[in-house]
Amino acid sequence: MERIIHLNVNSEDYEVIVRPRESLLDVLRNKLNLTGTKKGCNEGDCGACTVIMDGRPVNACLVLAVEAEGQNIMTVEGLAQGPDLHPLQEAFIRYGGFQCGFCTPGMLLSAKALLDENSDPTEDEIRKGISGNLCRCTGYTKIIQSIKEAARTMRSGQVDERMRANE
Amino acid sequence: MEVKCPVCNKQRNSSMKIARHIFGTGDKSHRGWVNSQGVSFTDLLIAQAMEAGNRGFTTLAEIIERVQETA
Amino acid sequence: MNNDKHTVVGKRIPNVDGYEKVTGSAKYTIDMVLPNMLHGKILRSPHPHARIVRIDTRRAEQLPGVKIVLTGKDTLGRKNGIWRSYRELCDEEILCRDKVRYVGDAVATLAATQEDIAEEALSLIDVEYEILPAVFNPLDAMKEGAPEIHDGCERNMNVYRQIEWGDVEEAFEDCDHIREDTFYCSSQAHACLETHCAIASFSHDRKLTLWTSSQSPYYTQVLLSDMLGLREGDIKVLKPHTGGGFGGKLSLDSAQYCTSLLSMKLMRPVKIVLSRAEEFAATKRRTPIHYQLKLGAKRDGTLLAKKVRAITEGGAYTALGGTALYLTGFFSSFPYKYPNFQYDGFRVYTNNEATSACRGFGAPQANFVSESQVDMMAEDLGIDPVEIRRKNGMTPHHEIPDQAVIQSCGLQQCLDAIKKYIRKRGELPPNHGIGVSAYGFMSGGIFNWIDTPYAFSAAMVKINVDGKVDLFTGATDVGQGSNTTLTMICAEELGVHLEDITLHVGDTSVCPVDLGAWGSRQTLMSGNAVKMAAAEAKRQLLEVACYYLKPNIVYDLNIKDHWIHFTERPYRRVSYFDVVKDAIRGKEGNPILGYGHYTPHGKGMVSPAYSFGVQAVEVKVDTETGQVDLVHITTAHECGKVINPIGLEGQVEGASIMAAGWTLTEDMQTRDGKIINDNFRDYKLLLAEDVPKMTLLEVDTYEPEGPYGAKEAGEGLTIPTGAAIANAIYNAVGVRIKDMPITPEKVLRALEKKAAEEKDSEQFVAAASA
Ligand code: FES
Ligand code: FES
Ligand SMILES: [Zn+2]
Repeated sequence: MERIIHLNVNSEDYEVIVRPRESLLDVLRNKLNLTGTKKGCNEGDCGACTVIMDGRPVNACLVLAVEAEGQNIMTVEGLAQGPDLHPLQEAFIRYGGFQCGFCTPGMLLSAKALLDENSDPTEDEIRKGISGNLCRCTGYTKIIQSIKEAARTMRSGQVDERMRANE
Repeated sequence: MEVKCPVCNKQRNSSMKIARHIFGTGDKSHRGWVNSQGVSFTDLLIAQAMEAGNRGFTTLAEIIERVQETA
Repeated sequence: MNNDKHTVVGKRIPNVDGYEKVTGSAKYTIDMVLPNMLHGKILRSPHPHARIVRIDTRRAEQLPGVKIVLTGKDTLGRKNGIWRSYRELCDEEILCRDKVRYVGDAVATLAATQEDIAEEALSLIDVEYEILPAVFNPLDAMKEGAPEIHDGCERNMNVYRQIEWGDVEEAFEDCDHIREDTFYCSSQAHACLETHCAIASFSHDRKLTLWTSSQSPYYTQVLLSDMLGLREGDIKVLKPHTGGGFGGKLSLDSAQYCTSLLSMKLMRPVKIVLSRAEEFAATKRRTPIHYQLKLGAKRDGTLLAKKVRAITEGGAYTALGGTALYLTGFFSSFPYKYPNFQYDGFRVYTNNEATSACRGFGAPQANFVSESQVDMMAEDLGIDPVEIRRKNGMTPHHEIPDQAVIQSCGLQQCLDAIKKYIRKRGELPPNHGIGVSAYGFMSGGIFNWIDTPYAFSAAMVKINVDGKVDLFTGATDVGQGSNTTLTMICAEELGVHLEDITLHVGDTSVCPVDLGAWGSRQTLMSGNAVKMAAAEAKRQLLEVACYYLKPNIVYDLNIKDHWIHFTERPYRRVSYFDVVKDAIRGKEGNPILGYGHYTPHGKGMVSPAYSFGVQAVEVKVDTETGQVDLVHITTAHECGKVINPIGLEGQVEGASIMAAGWTLTEDMQTRDGKIINDNFRDYKLLLAEDVPKMTLLEVDTYEPEGPYGAKEAGEGLTIPTGAAIANAIYNAVGVRIKDMPITPEKVLRALEKKAAEEKDSEQFVAAASA
């Protein structure tokens, strides 16, 4: 009962054969070799598998691959634009927003989804935004700080662009 | 008063300290000596673990004193 | 020490693995696939204690896609354990032959072409068990007539350890006040985000390669060699990026062992990834401990004598529990100068998952009980909690008879810093309280469990013709940042830039032996080895540079920013790159090689150095619900010279929150030996929303034994939080919880009891005055 589906991941189109119960997470990791997205529990409890699907953060382990057909999916591999890291990635490096790094891809995407919605979140909003993502290493503090700093950079970038547009 | 370990001759100033030494060492020869005195090494150790007070180690200390006297 | 003289050490250096980790390109074992690879699974016992009567694997073998099913009968029948000098403590078959001892013990393993086939095949293995009576509580397990979990181990007494100095009994006679209290510390799952996993590849050349998530590739190699009957050199252990360890990835585990067995039979790579439920049920966990403490003091607060009795729940196997048993005793005396101290520790087998090392290694438990009791003592005596700690706190050069020599110790400065913070915080809102706890921890253990003749740490530095440096070390980064720390130390010593260094880690076939990541050892031990290796390579460069610069003595020269120069007159210099080229030419074309090693010596039984600190936790208690909220965690941690402040802060924050979770929410619940909350929904780690503001107060010290004066900053930070929270709750609402975890129900019950008692005494007063 396998079937062929079309997935759009990080703006690239893929054609994959999937089984009906196969999760998006397994397809990303095993069939598309996008192993940046992590599996920490496979039961929707840890957030390590967070990807953005049509603008919303989802636990890829709870999404069936067939449900993802036709949606735009973004994984950690799609964050950087060529040689340019996303400001969130820059900030996580600069401010120590990871240790073992296993929760990091999921954290980054939860954070991106948050900042896409709200470019200037309060600290509490950030905490809430990543409350579905477990981290055993960092105690979250540096993750929160990294997200805050990234938001600031992104806002000032937008300001720069606006100013440039006005010129 | 100096008390000697009947197994390895280690000296301490009380029979209680020698009893602790014997349990703390706990190797075959120390264990064997305790068991040869008509008590069980493990039972005394467990008495010490489970009961308030010091019954486990005191029992051995008394045995050590007795042995010391007869020696 | 003057910070300015360092170019790298002490700076906020971003993690050297950062680019890989934020782009998703960092490969963990769980991400890896080898050509022709099979997927393995492990069948685990549903019973806490049972004899294996018969295992019928035929139906499983017949399932299409299944390649092989193995049971304990297919092994050499050896028992695993890290205690190579104490064979009786090596007690875990990993794949059980005759008997299972806890729910989760492995009874069979199989490999199939696909993971779901392997999963399905598990259900086709028929195991006939003869169920034996089981025992789950160490106090019951010691009773006469309790089931014998290991043959010949009478009354399940696994290990007894004692520590003693002075004479407590005599000293208690001289005390003005004595307190006796009992406490209980609960268990904790390591809960690494990456579960245990391994890929083994054995082929016709009879060599085994194992990729695995491990805190010590060297231990994995040695233990596998024992269990499989292969020579160490025929086993290569590779450790890709690792998603956390916390003490849980130190023993040889079922994934590592079973993949190896399967691959050796099939001559194909086999991968096993434990599920989250297996991770909870069938790895290892923090040691739960029952304590009885007797503490005696003089009226002025001088602590004269302390007696500790601890009964630790061992679970089914020894694992590293013998060391946790010892360390919880040793650290029960910390961080005070008890003139008289006595510890008796009993480790008892039960039919639960084995307990072992878990971040802090027995010290967090010791601290929870000891620092709670010190606060109670201070209150009894009417002394300020900070002052009683100051009066008795360790100071530099303190010697613990027959145990340890403490060199640097900044405890008093930490107390000052915390006192200042508390004063500044001023009046607290109602139902808020601040609790403090003082602690110390080791910078690496002087324990040679595995009886290695090698140095505890070693490193190799190779300088190539383009000036690039290869650093080889067996040290293990499981997230704590040792890759960054060691690269920094190498760069500092050699006078090169971080980008000049290529780090080679996680491969037992090329990296010098290092005991790995445990006991907060790598900054000091691996750091010393790296520093020595870099210094040796540097010496060879300076030797050549002398021909250019003609110093009076070679020690006038130094390397900085790619120049070899006179330390005092830096403008007299020669290019580092030129000297490297000439040095290599002069060595008949051989690269410049430096080798370094470190093994502690003459430093007592425990550790070459100790870090110290004091933590203050502010909580808010909801008296309606019993809910405890963390408001602020302030830590003064002295770890000698800080190599990388980002790394230090990350350790403080992460460890405090792991410890706060252990104290408040991480309640591992079992029923008949089965862990019932074996998932992250029901086993609650703290979330970003639960985490308070955290502040690290700087305290400067210098440790002569450590590289650039550095000590540990890893596990030690899990130590104080439990007691600080318990003390804060007491200060907030006047209830003392001595039994972990501190759940809202317990707080509520204690509040009710307190209210009832107050009412009683009011009535009594009213009646008396009537
Ligand atoms: S793997 Fe999907 S939430 Fe944990
Ligand atoms: S960095 Fe290890 S789990 Fe978050
Ligand atoms: Zn003796």
